[in-house]
Amino acid sequence: MATETRPEQGQAPVFTSFKEMMEYGKQNGYKMDWLQPRETFGSRLDSDEAAGGLLLQDIDHGPFAQVPDWSDNMTGRPRGALTRPNAPRVGNYSVRTKGDIWLKNAAQLYEEAVQRQWSSAVDVPWDEMEELPEDIERAECQLATFLTEVEFVAGDVPGKWISETTPDYYEPRMFLMSQIMDEARHMDVFRKRAFANGGGLMSQTTNVALSGGAIDSARDFTEMSARLHISGEGLVLSIFRMGERMSYNDAEKAIYRLAASDESRHVAFGVMHLQYLAQTDPERKEEIHSYLDEIEMGLVAGTGGQNPAARGTPSNAALAILLGGGSDAQSIHEGNQIALAVRQRQVKEYVQRVRVAGLGDRFENGRANAALAAYVSA
Amino acid sequence: MVQQQSGAQTDVDGNPVPELPDLSWMDKTLGWGVKARIEPFGGGLTINALNVGVYAEVPEHIPYRNRLPRGAYPAPGAGTIGGYYLQDKYEQWSDHAGLLYEEAISRRWATATDIPWNTAHGLPDDVEVALCQVATELSQQGSVESEVVSGWLQNLSPGYHEVKLYLSTVVYEAARLFEGYRKRAMLNGGGMMLESPGLMNRAVLETYAGWSQTVLGLWAIRGALQHEILRYLAVYGPSEADRELALRLIPDRVRTSAYAVSHIKFAISKKPEISQAFHAWLSGVEVAQARDLRDPVLVEALAVIFGGGVKHMDQGMQIVQRMLHDFVETYLDRCKQAGLPRERMLTPPFQAILDGSAFQQPA
Repeated sequence: MATETRPEQGQAPVFTSFKEMMEYGKQNGYKMDWLQPRETFGSRLDSDEAAGGLLLQDIDHGPFAQVPDWSDNMTGRPRGALTRPNAPRVGNYSVRTKGDIWLKNAAQLYEEAVQRQWSSAVDVPWDEMEELPEDIERAECQLATFLTEVEFVAGDVPGKWISETTPDYYEPRMFLMSQIMDEARHMDVFRKRAFANGGGLMSQTTNVALSGGAIDSARDFTEMSARLHISGEGLVLSIFRMGERMSYNDAEKAIYRLAASDESRHVAFGVMHLQYLAQTDPERKEEIHSYLDEIEMGLVAGTGGQNPAARGTPSNAALAILLGGGSDAQSIHEGNQIALAVRQRQVKEYVQRVRVAGLGDRFENGRANAALAAYVSA
Repeated sequence: MVQQQSGAQTDVDGNPVPELPDLSWMDKTLGWGVKARIEPFGGGLTINALNVGVYAEVPEHIPYRNRLPRGAYPAPGAGTIGGYYLQDKYEQWSDHAGLLYEEAISRRWATATDIPWNTAHGLPDDVEVALCQVATELSQQGSVESEVVSGWLQNLSPGYHEVKLYLSTVVYEAARLFEGYRKRAMLNGGGMMLESPGLMNRAVLETYAGWSQTVLGLWAIRGALQHEILRYLAVYGPSEADRELALRLIPDRVRTSAYAVSHIKFAISKKPEISQAFHAWLSGVEVAQARDLRDPVLVEALAVIFGGGVKHMDQGMQIVQRMLHDFVETYLDRCKQAGLPRERMLTPPFQAILDGSAFQQPA
C-alpha cells in the first residue's frame, strides 16, 4: 500500500468569501454546491476536560438542537442535516413521535455509560475465588444461569427498537446502544461466574413468559420500556443491590456492584421516559397506568419476567440457599425470610420509581394493587 | 445432591420444620465440575476460556427459538419466543467472535475525553466546511450501521452467544462513530451538512437475503471504504483532533472486517454453493456503492481536506483517487481472504475506480 504524501503545491489564489471559493472550484471543473456554511458556522465549543470533556448533551445548538415533536425523516439523515430530494426512503421508522421515546437526559446517561464501561475479563478478581460448599456453588450457578438467560432479553429487545426509531431522536437511541453493550457484558459475566469456580450451567427458566416473552411482545416503545426498564430491570437492580448479602467472595461482590451500576442507568432511562410522557402527554397517563396494573399483578403474585426472586422458581430457591447459607431446611427458611425482605425492597423501590415518574397518584387513589401495601408493611 | 422433601412436621424438640422448596433443579446440569482457566499474563477470564468439556461443543444447528444459554439444561416446556430464526451455525458464526469481543471490550476510550478537541479550532473556512461534510457522511454511516446490526440481533440465535456478544460491541462502536463525527461537526459551528446519497444505506438496510449478505455489504464493501477514509484522515486530517479521532476509530473498523472475513469464510466452508449467491449479491452492492461515489459531494469535500483547501483541490483529488484505488484493493483483499475472489468478477464501476478512470481529474 502506498505511503500517503501530499503532492507539490504551487502558487495559490487568496479567497475572501465562500462565494469566491465556490466559483474557483467550479471554474476548475468541480460542482462545489455543497460548500456553503450553515447558519451556526463560526460558533465555537470548548472542551473542558475538567468538566468531562466534549459531551453529547452540550454540542447541539441552532437547528441541530431542534428536536421535532413529529419526525418526517424517512431517509435516516442525522438530525439537522440538509435533505436530498432523491435520497431513498429507507427509514420505515415506527417511532416518529417525540413523546413515544423521549426523555430529558438520554445524552447524559449515554455519556455516563461510556465513562463507566468495564471488563468482565479483568475487572472481576476471579483468581480470588475459593472452593465453595457444593450446594452453595450449585445455587450460585443456577442464579448465574438464570441471569445469563434473561440478559439476552435486555439486549435484543432494545436492539429492535433502535432500528424502529427515527435518528431525529438520536439521544435515546444512543442510550439504548450503550444498554446493548452493558447487557452483553452482563450475559457474559454471569456465564463466566458459572464456570469460574468448578461448577457449570444449570437449568433453563421453565417457560418463555418467565424469560421475558411479554417484553418481546410489546408493540409500543413505552409499553416495552415499562415492562423492561421499570419492572424487569428494576427488580433485578434490587437484587444486585443486595449482592453483598449473597456473595461469598470478592469476585461475586464485584460482579453485583458493577452490574448494579449499569442497571441503575437502565432503570433511570425508563423512569425519566415515563416522567417525560406523563408531563407532556397526559392523555396517555391512563394507558401507562394500565401497564403498571399488569406489572403490579406480577409483583404481588411473585411472578413475572426477569425477577430472580419470583416464587416457585429455581432461581428463587437458589437465592434462598445463598441468603440463608445452605440447602438444609433451616438455612432455606432463614434465606426465605431474607428473600421476603428482598421482595419488600423490590416493591418499595418500584413504588418510588413510579412516584418519580409522576404516576404516584395511583398509590393515593386506590388504583395500585392493594397487596402492594401489605408487602411494604409486612 | 437433591435433598428429599421432609415428611416430618416437627424436629426432635417438637419445633416445626420448614418445608423445603423443590430442589430438583440442583441435579439439572449437562456438565458439572468445570473450571475455566484464567488467561496468564493479565488477560483475565475470557469468554472463549469457558468453552471446555461438554461446553466446548458449538452445534451446527440450534433446535430451539428461545434464550436457552448454550450448554444449560433445557427446560422441556420452555417454548418459543419468536425471532431467533437464524438457527444454523453457518449463518452467523465466526471462530474469532469471542476474541473480537474481548478485544473490543479491552479497548475502552471516549470521544468526550480522549480526543484533543481544542486543537481543531481556527482551521481555514473551506477546510472546516469540508470536514463537516465528511463528518456528516461518516456520522450517518454510523447511525445506519447501528440500525442494521441492532435490528438483526433479535434474529440471531442465543446459542451462538459469542457472535451476539461481539455484535453488541459493534452496535456500541457504531454509536461512537456517529457521535464522534457529530461532535466534530459541531465543534466550530459547521454542523451537519448534506445527507448521504443513500443508495448504499438502502443496500445494507434492505438485505432480507440474510445476515451474511448484510455482513458483505456492511463490512466488505462499505467497511473497506470507511477504513480508507479514516486511514487517510489519520494522515491528512487538518488538526491533531481530526487525526486522532480517525486513528482511534480504525481498530473498531478493523474488527468488523475480521468478523466479516472469518464469518464468510466459515459459511462457504460449510455451504460451498452459497458463494454464488454471495458473488451475485456483491455485484449489486458494488453498483450501489459506485453510484454513491459518483455523487461529487463526498469526494470533493475529501479533496478539499486532503489538498489543504479549495485552492489545492486538484492535488487533493489526486489523493482521493489514490484513496479510492486503495479502497477497491482493500475490498478485493477482504473478498479473497473470505474465499470469494472477485478480481475477475469486478463490476465495471468498481473496475473503473480501480484503474482510475472513474474520477478523471477535471481539465
